[in-house]
Amino acid sequence: MTSNQQSSSHQSSYHHKNAWFSIAWRLFCHESKRGELTIILLAISLSVASVLALSLFSERLQYALTEKAANYFTADRMLWSANPAPTQWLEKAKQSELTMATQLRSNSMLFAGDAMSLVFVRAIDENFPLKGTIRIAPQPFAEGADTDLTPAQGEIWLESRIFQLLNVQLGSMVELGDIKLKVTQVLAQLPDQGFSLGNSSPHVVINITDIKAAGLIGQHSNAWFSYSFVGSDEAIIQYEDWLLPQLDNEVHGWDTAEDAKDFWLSRTIRKAGQYFLLSSLLAIILASISIAVAAQRYCQRHYDPVAIMKTLGGSNSQIRKIFLLQIGFISIAGIIIGTSIGYVFQYGISTLIANQLNIELSGWYWRPFIIAIFTGCCCAFLFSVYPLMKLFSVPPLRVLRRDIDAKPLKFTFNLLASGIAIFLLMWAYSNDLKISAILFASGVILVLVLLAITLVFITLGRRYAQAEFSPGLAGAWNLAWARIQRRAMGNSIQLISFSLTIMLLLIVIVLRNDMLEQWRSQLPEGTPNYFLANITKQELPELQRHLATFDVFPKEYYPVIRSRLTAINDETIDTTIDKVKKKNEKEEKEIKIEDKGKAKEESTDKEREGFGREVNLTWRDTLPFKNEIVEGTWWEKDVPNSVSVEEKVAGELNIIIGDKITFNIGSQIVTASVTNLRSVNWQTMQPNFYFILNPDAVTDISPTYITAFNLAKDQKSELNKMLKPFPTLSLFDVDYRIQQVKDVIKQVSAAVEFILILILCAGSLVLIAQVQASIEERQQELAILRTLGAKGKLIQQSVVLEFVIVGIISGIIAAFANEIALYMLQTNIFEMEYSFHFEFWLLAPLVGASVVGCLGALTCWRLLRINTLKLIREVM
Amino acid sequence: MDIKPSDSAILTKSLTKKVKTSEGDLQILNPIDMNIKYGESVAIVGASGSGKSTLLGLLAGLDDASEGEIYLDGQPLHNMNEEQRAQLRGGRVGFIFQTFMLVQSLTALENIMLPAQLAGLSNAAEQAKSLLEKVGLAHRANHYPNQLSGGEQQRVAIARAFISKPKILFADEPTGNLDAKNSINIESLLFELNKKFGATLLLVTHDTDLAEKCDRQLHMHAGSFVETVIPLTNSKHDEEVVHDV
Repeated sequence: MTSNQQSSSHQSSYHHKNAWFSIAWRLFCHESKRGELTIILLAISLSVASVLALSLFSERLQYALTEKAANYFTADRMLWSANPAPTQWLEKAKQSELTMATQLRSNSMLFAGDAMSLVFVRAIDENFPLKGTIRIAPQPFAEGADTDLTPAQGEIWLESRIFQLLNVQLGSMVELGDIKLKVTQVLAQLPDQGFSLGNSSPHVVINITDIKAAGLIGQHSNAWFSYSFVGSDEAIIQYEDWLLPQLDNEVHGWDTAEDAKDFWLSRTIRKAGQYFLLSSLLAIILASISIAVAAQRYCQRHYDPVAIMKTLGGSNSQIRKIFLLQIGFISIAGIIIGTSIGYVFQYGISTLIANQLNIELSGWYWRPFIIAIFTGCCCAFLFSVYPLMKLFSVPPLRVLRRDIDAKPLKFTFNLLASGIAIFLLMWAYSNDLKISAILFASGVILVLVLLAITLVFITLGRRYAQAEFSPGLAGAWNLAWARIQRRAMGNSIQLISFSLTIMLLLIVIVLRNDMLEQWRSQLPEGTPNYFLANITKQELPELQRHLATFDVFPKEYYPVIRSRLTAINDETIDTTIDKVKKKNEKEEKEIKIEDKGKAKEESTDKEREGFGREVNLTWRDTLPFKNEIVEGTWWEKDVPNSVSVEEKVAGELNIIIGDKITFNIGSQIVTASVTNLRSVNWQTMQPNFYFILNPDAVTDISPTYITAFNLAKDQKSELNKMLKPFPTLSLFDVDYRIQQVKDVIKQVSAAVEFILILILCAGSLVLIAQVQASIEERQQELAILRTLGAKGKLIQQSVVLEFVIVGIISGIIAAFANEIALYMLQTNIFEMEYSFHFEFWLLAPLVGASVVGCLGALTCWRLLRINTLKLIREVM
Repeated sequence: MDIKPSDSAILTKSLTKKVKTSEGDLQILNPIDMNIKYGESVAIVGASGSGKSTLLGLLAGLDDASEGEIYLDGQPLHNMNEEQRAQLRGGRVGFIFQTFMLVQSLTALENIMLPAQLAGLSNAAEQAKSLLEKVGLAHRANHYPNQLSGGEQQRVAIARAFISKPKILFADEPTGNLDAKNSINIESLLFELNKKFGATLLLVTHDTDLAEKCDRQLHMHAGSFVETVIPLTNSKHDEEVVHDV
């Protein structure tokens, strides 16, 4: 071959390559003005946007929560030790490039002249806190502000109530152990200052270098050292792996920031995350249905061009490239639009949440982008593969015989391709093979059941729907039913598609309503934001009168007493715990995570030391607010010693009704029979208890009281005055945290609204695609009917009625399927109470009839506007 | 005498087409032997249902024969698969249809370019513009088919047929969808261009005037060629002699 020939051959091959690209591009440009590609584009954009926005949002939020937890925790990891940690451990931390802060915690007496108070001393170094911030206030009980300062040597920072207790001011000198310290700041909040009734002593902060001089460490000291660490994930894990085997459980403890996650926030976000996951899956499924329907129509319209191209010498491979490339163009455009919308949305919401949580959003998350792009490609190609395969099989002979269609392919192939696509998407998105398989199998069963119901509806409808209307309407009615009946299988598929769409929309709307309602009721207006503890029996009446003068009326005062749970059925409790621990190690771990939230209302001691140590007890005649008996009965008056146990603790300790539990209360031993097990709503922001006794069981015990109340923001400045007459009371301010939860719920709710809009758009797309798909067939019928002289009104009425009938049936089926799906979802996944949604049985057929009817009317209106000759020409 | 396939533009030997029906096989084309020489123009005339279009489809390699041999430009179509037949058509064969068969999503110019592009020709746009001028539609280059009249669409189709300088041109009722005036214009254009490009023309038509302009006319009836001109009314009493052509 000469070089000229080679060049010519190369050029030809180049042009050959270019040819299909340019044909594909030109077809795409022209087709993009038509309906189907727009629907495919919008469907891909919607699915990509929803997947990206919600995955990225969830992932960033998860990061934000962990980060926030680390802020409350002040570090990534913390080592607890009864003694100073060995030097080589700390050296190793330095070598591992970890930043470290050292702290000592101890109870001690603080003196100011003759006044004294038991305080909880936090001796910190200049690195504390490694994460989060200390808040200080200009004066006692004033609003706190973040500070980077730490107490200098010789200084002490006091919590507001100590100013009252010791009657000191800023600048006063106080005595701690063997040294005198100058009061330089009002401590408003330490980042890791938990709410613990077990340790309600007010906090003071000093410099760690003063600790030795003060004599707080020594042989009989109750001090605990804590060493907190931050660093890269890799360095932290490496250090953890090195250190953990060396720890002695008797004297050391090791905590992670993950353990400090906020209970309410985590729960809210977890539930929202489940909703996002479900909604995105539904958005993907709806988008996929629209793509499948639109692609089917798009391909059908291209049977002629493919036949022409084949006749003119186009090879199968050229034709495949031309049409696959068009799907490629549309996918790229859809993915770009979808990722842009998704990114912008999640950026907005994440930034708002980051501002609320006061954290930095950093890092780049590839997984959501990869999943979103994968979703876009999957939706575009796998759902159009069947129509495309049919398109490619169109024989060239169609140019001479228009009645020749594409070669019939096995419909099972279509089902298989679509099934695999949906399953792959579910799996990729949920990252859980089992859940995906269950959901997928349920979906398949649902579709089969719907198919059967639909066919029954259509058959019965035609048989019994003999209309007694005016002659004109009766004609339209019969024509409509005849059309539905004639295409029973096609209509069944259309009906299922409508039903599924309406059902999915209903599910998303109901879940959204229920979830938002649950969030709202979780922290309603007036939720207690302050807790008062250490109220003595003598102070109680005076305190009630005094608070009333500030318009503060706490709901209830709970008697509280510290006790030891010493035995169950005369078996010492330690043995029981060990046994249970070994048996149910995994289960107990899960319970402990829950307990983190309860720690705010109950003692944190339990988590670390088990029930063998102290536990808070209360007693009362009535079941507390938002507690429910799950087993046994609540006691009547004058019963023998009885105890009510929280159900999860009962499970953990293997306690059943009738068991005898022994408490050591001070020097008194109280044994009570378990008469009931309770479920507790820990989100009420009211004091809650694991164990409640009947009042007769504790006659000679003098408790302290605890209460919770709500204080409006503008009343905060009165706290000082409010508590001044009661200097020994302990006040816990949870307002800041409640506000944060409320703010986050607000932002997450915005995300929920966003996904709802996406789902509604995806649902509308399916309906439009379905109606569009049947246009051509309707066009033919209309052309024939109009040529035969049928009046426009009759045609219009029959088409609208057809769609209205289809809409009503779809609505009824959707309401039925919705009820079943909601029952499964609410009880099994969302941990919500199921309720029957009567309103949707009425609403769904109405919405179905009106929306589907309107779409039908619009289609019909467009077709009726075309003059008969043009209509016939278009059909021919 | 045995004719060499390479000497003929189109050659068939015992070409038969049967289709399956619920009542068994139905023979649409009886064994047909025909030979069309290069440069010849041949009209196949016959009533609806006589088998003309079926024959055209087989000769152009658009359909599979049930039995027999077909040689197109010397190549054995009957031994080729669909892909090979498409490749053979590309560049050697042109088509004109009664319903124009233009791609609605492409402009007039792009429709004309299409076969050249599929065949990988480098100067498709220039050739298409030149042909568009020849058919008098240069000013309509960027119009879509639905913006053109029937006559204009058929001119575009004719231009498209000639862009790859085909050796053989198949025309299926090229004036069937046009009024008398347009039909005359299209006929003259078709023969003028065919003469210029020197292609073999095989034309299927009802139109006797059009058929008479061809070098030869072949009359079909009930799947066979007949000697007698069969009136288009398909009378049962017409005498017919089936013969090879």
